[in-house]
Amino acid sequence: MNDGAPLTDAAADAPPESDGQPERQRFVLDDTGFDEVPKKYRRFYRKWKGAGDHLAPNEVICPVCKVVIRSSRTLRPGDRVYCMPCMSRLIVVRNETTGVLEALVSY
Amino acid sequence: MSDVHDLDPQAFLEEVHSFEFWFQAVEGYLSGTTWGHQPDAVEAPMSEQDRDRLITVLCNYCVGETAALEGASGLIVIAPNRLAKVFLSTQVADEGRHLEVFYHRMRDLGVGDPEAEVERRASRSLQTFRHRLLELVASKDWEAAIFAQNVILESLESAVFQARAAGDGTSAGFGENELGRRIAAAPHIRARIGRIKTELDHLVLEALEETTLLLGMPRDEHERLGRAYLESVDRLGFGL
Repeated sequence: MNDGAPLTDAAADAPPESDGQPERQRFVLDDTGFDEVPKKYRRFYRKWKGAGDHLAPNEVICPVCKVVIRSSRTLRPGDRVYCMPCMSRLIVVRNETTGVLEALVSY
Repeated sequence: MSDVHDLDPQAFLEEVHSFEFWFQAVEGYLSGTTWGHQPDAVEAPMSEQDRDRLITVLCNYCVGETAALEGASGLIVIAPNRLAKVFLSTQVADEGRHLEVFYHRMRDLGVGDPEAEVERRASRSLQTFRHRLLELVASKDWEAAIFAQNVILESLESAVFQARAAGDGTSAGFGENELGRRIAAAPHIRARIGRIKTELDHLVLEALEETTLLLGMPRDEHERLGRAYLESVDRLGFGL
């Protein structure tokens, strides 16, 4: 689930970036009520709501604390994201089996 | 700020280890609370048996919080850098507050002498763990003590607290990331940490099992909570 409204429409028709991939979709992130980080960072995180919840293209789950990490743009393999609630630096990867984006801790 | 994920890695570390970050974070979830709960919270009715079980659970929490409080304060002296020292100082404040809240809750439940009740009821394995943790701190073994306190103890503690909607995983995250960086820089310490894991983690896992049974959690919930810890040590390369 993602409360952030996309700024641009689906990326398929967008002009390519310099690396040949379509332009990333941008998202406006709203405060989701996540209160375990300072107010200015709250929009970048939300709680996973369990069965029925799903990740938007700009979201991954932190493997350490299970918080949903949100970016202002579509995430891709190789991107770096930070989990402030548990102080982790993470790298986005694609699970080859499921095709889902995941985050690996980078110490 | 356009996106927090654009921060420079060092700027990120400085930010999340700072007292300023901690102040603003706790303000979010503690503002307006009294003794850790909303002042207008209404006590749910509970049987005498449930009350008795809850007191035992609180006694176990108190031992865990006391261990973390004493451990974190002792570790400040041997922390290898400023960021770790400042973070541990915030952890000391957190653990002291948790301990105070649990003792207050026991008095709310009619326990006249909480200290004596903790001594009488708390899990023996958890008390043994506390004793051993303090020995590691006193021996100035930073990696072993951080593993015992912020990986073993805090992983399992935050798992239980999250299940009860009462905490976060900051201290566990600090331990895993700090240790992950240390092992990456000095892989030879892995064997020593592996020995500490073998010696100590069963003590906390036993206490977790006891606590989840007292809380009436189903068996699969207990296994799910233990899994968070096992995943953490697996990421650090200690296997399941």
